[in-house]
Amino acid sequence: MSPLSKGTSLGLTEVRTEAKAAREPQPYWNPYLAGLGLGLVLLAAFVIMGRGLGASGAFSSLVAVGVDAVAPAHANANDFYAEYIGDGTKSPLKDWLVFEVLGVFVGGFVSGLFANRVTKVVERGPNISSAGRLTFAFIGGGLMGIGAKLARGCTSGQALTGGALFNVGSWAFMMMVFGGAYAAAYFVRRQWQ
Amino acid sequence: MKNLFTNLSLNKKLALFVFVLGFLALFAGSPYKGTELKVDASEMAMIVQKEVDHVASDELAGWIVQGKADYRLLDLRNEKDFGEYHIPTAENMQLTMLKEAQLGRNEKIVLYSDGGIHSAQAWFLLKAEGYKGVYILRGGLEEWKDNILFPRLADNAPPSEVAAFEKAKLLSKFFGGTPQTGGAAEAATPKMALPKLESPAGAQPKAAAGKKKKEGC
Amino acid sequence: MNAPFFKYGLFGDDVSLVIAFIIGIGFGFFLERAGFGSSKKLAAQFYFTDLTVFKVMFTGIITAMVGVYYLSVIGFVDLSLIYLTPTFLLPQVVGGVILGVGFVVGGYCPGTSCVAASTGRIDGMVYLLGVIFGIFVFGEAFPLVSNFYVSTPMGQITLPQISGLPYGLLVFLVVLMALGGFAGAEWVEKKMAAKKAEA
Repeated sequence: MSPLSKGTSLGLTEVRTEAKAAREPQPYWNPYLAGLGLGLVLLAAFVIMGRGLGASGAFSSLVAVGVDAVAPAHANANDFYAEYIGDGTKSPLKDWLVFEVLGVFVGGFVSGLFANRVTKVVERGPNISSAGRLTFAFIGGGLMGIGAKLARGCTSGQALTGGALFNVGSWAFMMMVFGGAYAAAYFVRRQWQ
Repeated sequence: MKNLFTNLSLNKKLALFVFVLGFLALFAGSPYKGTELKVDASEMAMIVQKEVDHVASDELAGWIVQGKADYRLLDLRNEKDFGEYHIPTAENMQLTMLKEAQLGRNEKIVLYSDGGIHSAQAWFLLKAEGYKGVYILRGGLEEWKDNILFPRLADNAPPSEVAAFEKAKLLSKFFGGTPQTGGAAEAATPKMALPKLESPAGAQPKAAAGKKKKEGC
Repeated sequence: MNAPFFKYGLFGDDVSLVIAFIIGIGFGFFLERAGFGSSKKLAAQFYFTDLTVFKVMFTGIITAMVGVYYLSVIGFVDLSLIYLTPTFLLPQVVGGVILGVGFVVGGYCPGTSCVAASTGRIDGMVYLLGVIFGIFVFGEAFPLVSNFYVSTPMGQITLPQISGLPYGLLVFLVVLMALGGFAGAEWVEKKMAAKKAEA
């Protein structure tokens, strides 16, 4: 091999390795720092708005709007949907939680972008197929939706917010979430391990 | 000692910091200090004397007619009386429910009861807790009935009063009342039937529902 | 005392929506920083191999708890004006169990699934569809469950109120518990990593 071609191929490999390293996903933050940031955001909500965070409520508004669009009489006769639809003076989507959740999408994306963690993938353990994982994801989401409505919130609203405010129901809820998850973990271990 | 501290890892530093804060919390006292009543006596006395937070019945009537939405009118009587008649745009609220209502600190709140006793007591409670925009309907429901619903024009009234009475008649009709004429100026008002609640009272339930902000998650 | 600012009328509903958006950005940002856009990382909590969920959640809780406590004590914030979700003990306990199962089966919670979806996780997007479906099922079944839904109401009640213990004492106890939990979590993670290395 002539010295010229040898030098060229080595140089290209180096450049490629460096570029790849820059695109590699960055390591996650120190969890305590991330938690501190989260706590400060929650504190800001307390101080500025006099309320905490949430997530499931925004999706309830979405469902209520959807049902209202398809079958308004049925939606308004149902106490659950009616509460989210309101009295017609303003759009149910002009809701604090809806805007907050939109922000969550954006904030997550921005953080992922800076950390090179935005990638199209199906997260799963080594012993399950994508289809299997997606099925579990849908079922899990469905259970979560039901549980969150029964409990008037999910981990963001009840556990984080209620936890910080010493809300009795929230602490009971939080313990049950961990309990239920640990109990069920054995049965779905093939999904993750 | 300083070396010991700087040699700790970041996590240990954070842990130490939050431990100290937690420990100090044992001595820092109750976070609910705001609910203890603090009263500036001289300020209170001056406010009461100057009557700056009285709202006259015709002033309130004007707000309702104009459809203003920047105030909250609270009726402090019991449910039954409220159901029989209440001033349009009023919300029923017993004294004990005031805290749960989550009223805004700077919101304009107008209180009324039959006369002035309960509204005055509620006024004091709210003022002492730091609410800034509390007002009392002068004369309560009694004066509202006398001035707005059933305005009276005595037989021997001077022309200025006659002119004023024309305006009062229009206002009374708006609220479903019955203007009275005749009789001596000091004659007691006979027991009049109170107007049935329809519009503009119809505007009230919508306003109350809109006020209920959803703050769950 | 002039906070919470919104409850003192410092700004109106429209501005509050902008604030909601900004706060949401902060929320989503830190969730992703912690790695909660990945269901594998989230689920690992329940197999004891990666206890980030516990660390982040409880650090967040004690940060906001200590913060709001001190801000109230100095009189800057009126704690009684901060919204407390009313407690309905039985539905919340049952809902918690269901939610816990859904967490480990689905691999996310609603907030983290938003972060996952926006960083490309397909399972996060499917999970969100599941959440919407679950809420729909609940809504349709609501007439049947509404009695259960409002059972065991306890109103807006806090641990200091129900225990009679001073607020500050409970702050200290929760901080202690969290710090102990963190130490324990570090220890468990080390042991699990050693076990994995042996295997």
